Amino acid sequence: MQTRMGYDRLLGTVARIGRVTEVTLEHAGSITLLAWQVVLATARMKVAAREVVNQLYIMGIQSLPIVLVTGSLAGIVTSQQGGYQMSSVVPPYILGSLVVETVVLEMGPVLTALVLVGRIGARITAELGTMVVSEQIDAYHSLGRDPVALLAAPRVLAGILALPLLVGIANIVGILAGQLAAEIDSGLGWESFFYGAKLFWHSWDLFYSLTKAMIFGLAIPLISVHMGLRTKGGAEGVGRTTTQAVMFMTLTILILDAVFPPLLLN
Amino acid sequence: MIHYQHVWKSFDQPVLAGVDLEVATGEMFALFGPSGTGKSVLLKTTIGLITPDRGDVSVAGISVHRAGREALEEVRKKVGYVFQNAALFDSQNVFGNVTMGLPEDELRRLSNREVARRVWESLELVNLEPHAVLSKIPAELSGGMRKRVGIARAIVGRPEVLLWDEPTTGLDPVNTAAVERLIKRLSDDLEVTSLLVTHDVEGGLLMCDRVAMLDGGVVRFCGTPDEFHACPDPLVQAFIHREAAEAALSSIAAVS
Repeated sequence: MQTRMGYDRLLGTVARIGRVTEVTLEHAGSITLLAWQVVLATARMKVAAREVVNQLYIMGIQSLPIVLVTGSLAGIVTSQQGGYQMSSVVPPYILGSLVVETVVLEMGPVLTALVLVGRIGARITAELGTMVVSEQIDAYHSLGRDPVALLAAPRVLAGILALPLLVGIANIVGILAGQLAAEIDSGLGWESFFYGAKLFWHSWDLFYSLTKAMIFGLAIPLISVHMGLRTKGGAEGVGRTTTQAVMFMTLTILILDAVFPPLLLN
Repeated sequence: MIHYQHVWKSFDQPVLAGVDLEVATGEMFALFGPSGTGKSVLLKTTIGLITPDRGDVSVAGISVHRAGREALEEVRKKVGYVFQNAALFDSQNVFGNVTMGLPEDELRRLSNREVARRVWESLELVNLEPHAVLSKIPAELSGGMRKRVGIARAIVGRPEVLLWDEPTTGLDPVNTAAVERLIKRLSDDLEVTSLLVTHDVEGGLLMCDRVAMLDGGVVRFCGTPDEFHACPDPLVQAFIHREAAEAALSSIAAVS
């Protein structure tokens, strides 16, 4: 009897793993297909430049205030934590290196991406989900228009362009705020801070940071558009899909973040 | 003009179970049936918004589901689709919405002046004052006006076929009668083939040349309005009387 129950439990676990794998592969396949359709629409010049600019404004300019705040806080917190942990163990100017490397390699890209998941990703999923349930996407199809070219491609292109710019700004603001915090907390002057920063700085670090930003900028709109377009079930469905999309995007950002160092930093 | 050949479609359970139906050129045809019998699903298979599991649909001799993407685009140029809730694009004003009804190649060919003239003409055809509504966004329009803009968008491309998905749902009796008159007039004036999915049996029987009733995923009845009235099938009779009773109730509710 117990053997039978154990066998059933094992079967249930295998079935659940199978279902999760199936759903994950299905999402991955659909997102890859969507990415390919975006490439085709762009190559065939079917994407309106005006719409890309409009999306750039929404993703880039309108996100600037929150990115400035996040970037500053990332720099300040890193500087405070670093200053606290390194006191009297290593030369104080090393704090400059710690802040710059942490902000550029990690905090700038990841925090900016996570902020955009909430601000842009959720917005795109909810917007497209509402268009699906109110039959606006069907209306585009019925009128012979391609929703990928009209809605998905401008958002994806804007994401790829906007994220590196925002991350670049977040990095600069984070470093400046970190230096200010170092001066206030540890009395580390401007020159010592940047002397330490230069000691361990590689130009590759900036490339790494902006490449990461670009990949995040591709992932956020791709996932949010994909989730939005598969919304079902009215207003409740829009809410449910938006929540799933935010979770999905956050996980993707964190997984990609873990994949980057072995690929690009070794 | 429109030929449904043994169309099957299931979602969680079967919705269409081998629908065979033909709508002749120039005909005005109504499709009745209880809720959930797949009327709107059948309508959506006509322009490839839903792909049947089995069977095919042809419009003007072009296969919708078997002839490839270009053929589907050709079909969509020939067909105007009026959605149940108008499905206007929220972010665009009335001008933008109606302009989207012009096929892309035509839009490239026409001058701005000609596009504006076509949009203006379509809005006048649906009894809207173009100068009063052109710059409004859908949220600023009443339900009846949104339906009319949806109709204007469907006819601006001068289609050969008009598909109407419950065009009077959600309207009060006065607007229902007005939209029904409009459907009849447009179908006559524009000489299009019309396929109408509706719950309004009375209106459908008055307007249409032929009607069909779907039940259990198949065509339960197909014939003229007179034949429909005289049909001895108890389900058809029950449907006629139930719908008439519901229409009367909703009229009373709307008035009170």
